[in-house]
Amino acid sequence: MNHQSSPTRRPDCRLLVGTSGYSYAEWVEAGFYPEDTPSGDMLPLYAGHFPIVELNYTWYQMPRAEAMERMRARAPEGFLFAAKLTRVLTHEVDPGAWPLQAERFRDGVTPLLQAGQLAAVLIQLPPDFVRNEANRGYLARLLDALAGLPLAVEFRHRSWAHDRVFVELERRRIALVAVDEPELPSLFPPLDVVTNPDFFYIRFHGRNLKGWHSGNMQQKFDYDYTDAELQQWVEERIAPMTNRARHGFIFFNNHVAAQAPKNAATLVQLLRASGL
Amino acid sequence: MHYERQIIHLNVADFAVAVERVCDCRLRERPVMIAAVATARAVVLDMSDEAFQQGVRKGMPLRQAQRRCRDAVVLPPHLDRYVRAMQGLIRPALAWSPLVEPADDNGHLFLDVTGTHRLFGPAPDVGWRLRREIKRALGLDPIWTVAPNKLVAKVASRLVKPVGEYIVAGGEEAHFLAPQPIDLLPGLETAELRQLFDFNITRVGEIASLSAAQLRVPFGKRADRIHDLARGIDPSPVRPGQASRPTVSFDHIFAEDTNETRGVENILYQLVERAGATLRDQRLATRRLGIFLGYGDGVQTVRQATARMAVASDFQLFDLARLALGRAWTRRVRLRSLRLTCDRLTRPPAQLELFAASRQARQNREALTAALDHIRHRHGPASITPGRLLAA
Repeated sequence: MNHQSSPTRRPDCRLLVGTSGYSYAEWVEAGFYPEDTPSGDMLPLYAGHFPIVELNYTWYQMPRAEAMERMRARAPEGFLFAAKLTRVLTHEVDPGAWPLQAERFRDGVTPLLQAGQLAAVLIQLPPDFVRNEANRGYLARLLDALAGLPLAVEFRHRSWAHDRVFVELERRRIALVAVDEPELPSLFPPLDVVTNPDFFYIRFHGRNLKGWHSGNMQQKFDYDYTDAELQQWVEERIAPMTNRARHGFIFFNNHVAAQAPKNAATLVQLLRASGL
Repeated sequence: MHYERQIIHLNVADFAVAVERVCDCRLRERPVMIAAVATARAVVLDMSDEAFQQGVRKGMPLRQAQRRCRDAVVLPPHLDRYVRAMQGLIRPALAWSPLVEPADDNGHLFLDVTGTHRLFGPAPDVGWRLRREIKRALGLDPIWTVAPNKLVAKVASRLVKPVGEYIVAGGEEAHFLAPQPIDLLPGLETAELRQLFDFNITRVGEIASLSAAQLRVPFGKRADRIHDLARGIDPSPVRPGQASRPTVSFDHIFAEDTNETRGVENILYQLVERAGATLRDQRLATRRLGIFLGYGDGVQTVRQATARMAVASDFQLFDLARLALGRAWTRRVRLRSLRLTCDRLTRPPAQLELFAASRQARQNREALTAALDHIRHRHGPASITPGRLLAA
């Protein structure tokens, strides 16, 4: 299918590249962090490499404002955060409790919002969240409940790759997350659709086909992108996307063995070499 | 390479009730209390959150609890179910780490997943998967927390009870604990809590703001430990296998609160006889005997007596028991309950006395004990009674 938003030239589109999560013991082993770096010291070190990070602990646990503020204070001024929406709003939804949970999430990220450091809230939906009436209804209510936050939606199921979905996201000024992942028939395809002129959002999960359904994080996200694979993304998708939004947030989720920061650094070089 | 510790605490809140509710889903609609209803002075052993909200507490006399929560279902304890459920928690945990410690046999356990990140990924993901696995397999929904040590993980569990999760990152221990009420902190004794309240200290952060030297004035030798607790410092390891070392315990609840010394000692001797028989049956001896006293006003005291060499004869056990009782029973308030616990269990040591008289005395005791055991095994526990227990 094709979806073309009106081309709006953005020669000053700012691209920010980072990783999904920053607190990994194996990144010390891999040499990204100095030896014996405690987890409490990782964020400022990470910020020395990248200007943005995607917080993934917020998927496991509802963010709490006071802890969020302490974390924010350890990062340099201007450093940006994307926060993943908590699983009780996406994967383990309690029909009676979710509205209150949405409020709690909003409260939890308020320190970032008030400091102007909340780049996006990532709503990652589960692979079995198919496009049916019930799920469309829930998603609409969820987006209403989170209105006002800079939202980005990642669909895992292919059924959401539909023009009507893109039109609705565009109406709401919500970014459709572009993904790179293994080529599996049910998964959402890699697209360069931009539905929010404020920002586009890309996630590189790795292409470990064998590990994808293993149920083990260390297998699923064990992938090292080649320069050629990243270059293809730069030319075929990122470049055209920079014409359609003011910012581009790009994250590498292949955390195993610190391949994510390695690939992120490579992408930055490739983007610079391409003049982006 | 030094790894920052990653400890997961799993806690099925109101464990006995949770297990009963899995067995009978109708119980989910009503408050539930677990009590040994057949005993004269039944007390609440566990209760559902609804009953707790209505003022029911563990150890409360059942009659009192029923007045507070009139529509509660009262069930007798089914210990075999709880043991099986506990095994059901431990089994999947062992798939993630060999360092699994059941904190008590009441739905709690600790896992040490330090250094397993290369196999299984970050600790929060392990906690989440383990909870999901247990929920699917057993129908129980454990709280799961992740923290750099057992102390902080346990406080986090207490905070999110009855369900939920909490992740305390490395370096956040003191910040996390600071606003918490002091009675959430494990490791503080009742008297210490009372003293802190007397000082108008109600939050953990207020303790942490005091130096160890300042704490030494009221708390003496315990000051350093309290200082560490308040700052979230706990180097204690996760002990795999059976963390609570084997014990032999027997309880007695008095039909009426009492401060009659002879009567209490007679009950104590009965408990000693039961403990001694159990130890000898299992070819074990004990080096430490503890006496837990429950007073009529709700206060509980525990004191211990240790033996240089492990003992198993009723006579030697009773000597220890009387010593511990004397240390514990220091108040004029009547007693309501008495528990005897033998721990530091070991194989009976080979005993070599220097003096023939000592050796003869020991041999006489052992012969008498063996004879008593033989009679009881053959004719029942009540078939022979020491004279002290027959006195009016």
